[in-house]
Amino acid sequence: MTSAVLAHGLGGSSDLPIPLTYALIGAAWALTFTFAVVALAWRKPRFDPETPGRALPRWVTTAVDAPVTRWTVGLLALAFAGWVIVASIVGPPGSGNPLPGVFYVLLWVGIVALSVLFGPVWRVLSPVRTIARLLRLSRDAYPARLGYWPAAAGLFAFVWLELASPDPGSVGAVRIWLLIYLAVTLAGAAACGTRWCSHADPFEVYSVVASRCAPLRRNADGQFAVGNPFNHLPTLPIRPATVTVLAVLLGSTAFDSFSATPAWRGFVDAHTSGAIQASALKTVGLAVFVATVALSFSLAARATGGVDRARRRQLPGLLAHSLIPIVIGYVFAHYLTYLVEKGQQTVYLLLGLHDAHVYYILSLHPSVLATTKVLFVVAGHIAGVVAAHDCALRILPKRHQLTGQLAMMLVMVGYTFTGLYLLFGG
Amino acid sequence: MTFVKTLAVAGVVALALAGCSNKETAPSGSSSASTTATTQLSNPQAPPARVYIDVTIAGGTATPLNQQVEAKLGQPIIVRINSDAADQLHVHSNPEHTFAIKAEKDQQFQFTVDVPGKVDVELHHLDKTVATITVQ
Repeated sequence: MTSAVLAHGLGGSSDLPIPLTYALIGAAWALTFTFAVVALAWRKPRFDPETPGRALPRWVTTAVDAPVTRWTVGLLALAFAGWVIVASIVGPPGSGNPLPGVFYVLLWVGIVALSVLFGPVWRVLSPVRTIARLLRLSRDAYPARLGYWPAAAGLFAFVWLELASPDPGSVGAVRIWLLIYLAVTLAGAAACGTRWCSHADPFEVYSVVASRCAPLRRNADGQFAVGNPFNHLPTLPIRPATVTVLAVLLGSTAFDSFSATPAWRGFVDAHTSGAIQASALKTVGLAVFVATVALSFSLAARATGGVDRARRRQLPGLLAHSLIPIVIGYVFAHYLTYLVEKGQQTVYLLLGLHDAHVYYILSLHPSVLATTKVLFVVAGHIAGVVAAHDCALRILPKRHQLTGQLAMMLVMVGYTFTGLYLLFGG
Repeated sequence: MTFVKTLAVAGVVALALAGCSNKETAPSGSSSASTTATTQLSNPQAPPARVYIDVTIAGGTATPLNQQVEAKLGQPIIVRINSDAADQLHVHSNPEHTFAIKAEKDQQFQFTVDVPGKVDVELHHLDKTVATITVQ
């Protein structure tokens, strides 16, 4: 007996669409800023990953890096994972079970929120890393060619379970997913050392991606510092599949909005019979969204004159970090209510408080929520455009700096308009 | 307020300039023939209008599917069902409602929604969404 087939597998209502005026105002701001940045902004690159941030007192770094802190936090996270396992086994099989909430809300959205504020926290929290440390796994043999491909596949597997699988809400499905994840990540860590975690663990890669927006970072000497996130963004590691990782994140979030539209639901109902066929069609839809983002971004990044073929091939990777703010802005616009409201519900379920009162603090104020969503999307867009502009000044040849970034700006405007349209129409 | 209006106008103009062909019609192309508001607003003492959703379950399928319905906060929403099979009706509001459907005609299930949002009404065993209620 499983719970019903629900969007995100969590039940409850979803957000109201944003009003048309809000979408239009947001779109207007996004467009205006984009062309203001391209036409009027600085002509020399201003952001440099080498710029040190304002260093925090030395004891902060000492305290955070102390083995006792690392072990304490790691073991607490491991204990929390154990608690979730126990709660999911003793809990009811249906919607009263905390496991889907922990998985879809606390893990998927919560990790991003923490990473945006404090840096790549999953490195410290990851139960697999703690186990690897306990077992003293210290090989170092990750094949560099693989890059982020395993992580991109893992992220796609996650969004597939959430958005395209036959029964995302079932505790059994989440359990199987997590078992496979644990088996793959532990085996990878045993075979390749903890570099497997940093390259192939989907949650760690997502955490690292989100952390590039964080004001908190480390200086070259390892000291914690507070600095301009725009200097931090270009430090995103450029590896095979960096663009794919970002495309999975952005494409899946857009597909989530899209799959709630009556048109798509009617289409799925009309052309499929049975859960398996519907799941197959949704899988195709999800893949199309991800591929569209990956292709449009890569093509736009390459659309410049004055570079040779080898350089052109590098351009999507070099510009990939400018997609991060757009992804993060859209993810928060989309999942903020989930984090705040379903998060409360999940914590209550974990504590066994089944009738505790959830504060629907965002849902009860639809206009505040709609404003917040538009602000997130537009702020993400502006930050993305600024980062792309600055990066173009750094990497494009002088004579093509203006024309070379036009395609990218148009694609970004396209993402933002689509995002706002889906928030309005979804 | 004029500021907001100016922004809105700027938005429209900017969109037009960008040649962005938004096919945005009214937010809800709600084909809700089944939504009936029975009372007028003129009488404040009158009971609030009800929203009806009609569903027929026959031969392993339900009609119509994916109805788009609008309702107000706290407004009674009534699902009227003719069914030839037992099923479960799930109302994904906050909090959720579940009703047992029997294999008989003219069943009615009433509930209200007190938190704004889009609420899916689903048949559990058939695994179909019969309606999405926009509550605001």
